[in-house]
Amino acid sequence: MLWLENVSVRFGGVTAVNSLTLSIAADEVTGLVGPNGAGKTTLFNAISGLVRPSSGSIVFNAVDVLKVPVYRRARMGLGRTFQVPQPLNRLTVKENLLVAQRFGTGVVNDARIDEILDFVGLADKAARDAGSELSLSELKALEVGKALATSPRLLLLDEVLAGLETAGKRRFMQMLKDMHVKFGVGILIIEHDIETISNLCKRVVVLNFGELIADGSPDDVFRDPEVIKSYTGATHA
Amino acid sequence: MTPRNFLVVSALALLYIAVPMLLGSNLYIMSLLVASIAIGGVALAWALLGNLGGMVSFGHAAFFGVGSYVSALLVMKLGLPVFAAMLLGGAGAAVASLAMLPTLRLKGPYFALAILAYAQIFRILATEWQSVTGGAGGLSNIPRLPQIAGMDFGSKIGNYIVIVTIVLIFALIYQRIRASHYGTALRAMHDSEDATRIVGVNSTLLKAMMLLVSAFMTGVIGAFNAHYINFLEPDYGFSGLWSTLPIVAAIFGGYRTILGPVFGAVVVYLVDQLVFKSFIPSGHQIMLGALLAGMVLFSPSGLLPWVVRKFGRGRNALA
Repeated sequence: MLWLENVSVRFGGVTAVNSLTLSIAADEVTGLVGPNGAGKTTLFNAISGLVRPSSGSIVFNAVDVLKVPVYRRARMGLGRTFQVPQPLNRLTVKENLLVAQRFGTGVVNDARIDEILDFVGLADKAARDAGSELSLSELKALEVGKALATSPRLLLLDEVLAGLETAGKRRFMQMLKDMHVKFGVGILIIEHDIETISNLCKRVVVLNFGELIADGSPDDVFRDPEVIKSYTGATHA
Repeated sequence: MTPRNFLVVSALALLYIAVPMLLGSNLYIMSLLVASIAIGGVALAWALLGNLGGMVSFGHAAFFGVGSYVSALLVMKLGLPVFAAMLLGGAGAAVASLAMLPTLRLKGPYFALAILAYAQIFRILATEWQSVTGGAGGLSNIPRLPQIAGMDFGSKIGNYIVIVTIVLIFALIYQRIRASHYGTALRAMHDSEDATRIVGVNSTLLKAMMLLVSAFMTGVIGAFNAHYINFLEPDYGFSGLWSTLPIVAAIFGGYRTILGPVFGAVVVYLVDQLVFKSFIPSGHQIMLGALLAGMVLFSPSGLLPWVVRKFGRGRNALA
């Protein structure tokens, strides 16, 4: 269970996340949506440790993660991907996963790496240079594979479907569903596509200007007038 | 015997048997070889920090100087055996590098400038701490390398054998680190430090470890040099040349390879001393600058990778 209480993140005079209180179950797929600048990625950065909240507390499985350095959060079971894929350059695809597994879990299990590579569809790209020889969809798959290699209990996926063409997006979405079941990993996913979120998630959380404006099932949330006004627009009314 | 093993045995035979037999009687050439390999050792340590730790240092003179002073003083004031003192010289340099740990937060030119400033601090300390270091007057009559089991390590051939052995051991350590999971993570950290931290890599610790290892290696070479030339003063021990020459050698030889920096140091130093100096006795270093500029323009990865590409063999042994 991830528990955020009164979390605020400020950059100078700009409040990116404002006194947010939220709980995320580590065994569900939860959507995090909101218009650009709503504070979604900043919230991910705060949870994963790349940004320190100005105030509030973040607790994961009864541990105050704000007292835990970034690199230890992976070992606690908190994984994440980046909106713009960040492969470990100079390494092969397989080495990317090996580093993630070795340092994220403390062990090396080659069979498990091969299993993950196969699962994310990169088995035949294992020896490729991650920094220069992968397409966008492969880079996105690598982001997920890397995070999976750390054996996360809760995975923060930041617009992992963005930029993919329709068929690729559908395949990726199915992979995320299978991942949730096969690896028993909870997912908190940032995504702009309403259909994708409705398909993947039983619960959706909506942010606007850093504040929580809706929390519920996709059907309820996307009918909420305030959400429609702030995020979805009239076409989804 | 595999081709790789054959190459290794041949190289060892060349270094430990052929060179001493063929050149051992020429003291001038041997002294040039010893000096160039010592610079190569510092270049290797510098490249380790840059290649694995991702840090460009302009301050390796600090580690060189600290190592040389610690070793010389331990032998002269406490009577420690020279080889033990050399190791402690390396340890002293590693301890000195602890003072630089706060600079690991800095990136790129800021780290380079900060470490350059540290080198100056150590030089000033060595100058002002007269009661221990002898101040600007320095230390003279530093004991030479000892004679053990009939082998005089203080002779030119003995010095050569010692410095070759030290540098080969350092190359082996470098290779083992690079091949480990730590080495893989370190390579990955250069362009994507956040991405490595997110998957559990303690990037600050790994960078600190590389700084310590690099400082230790440089300190041992500095210690060797003190017992080799038997004299030390702050302006020499902490000279900026111990920072710049290894950089030139490493870039010239190929700083991304393990042996490239050593190869570069030997070629650069010998060509400079034996060729350029005979044509231009004063200011011959200008040719080195031109050579380095040409290398960066025409083979940015360095001389050793160029040789490997050109002749296509021994890629694994050298890379």
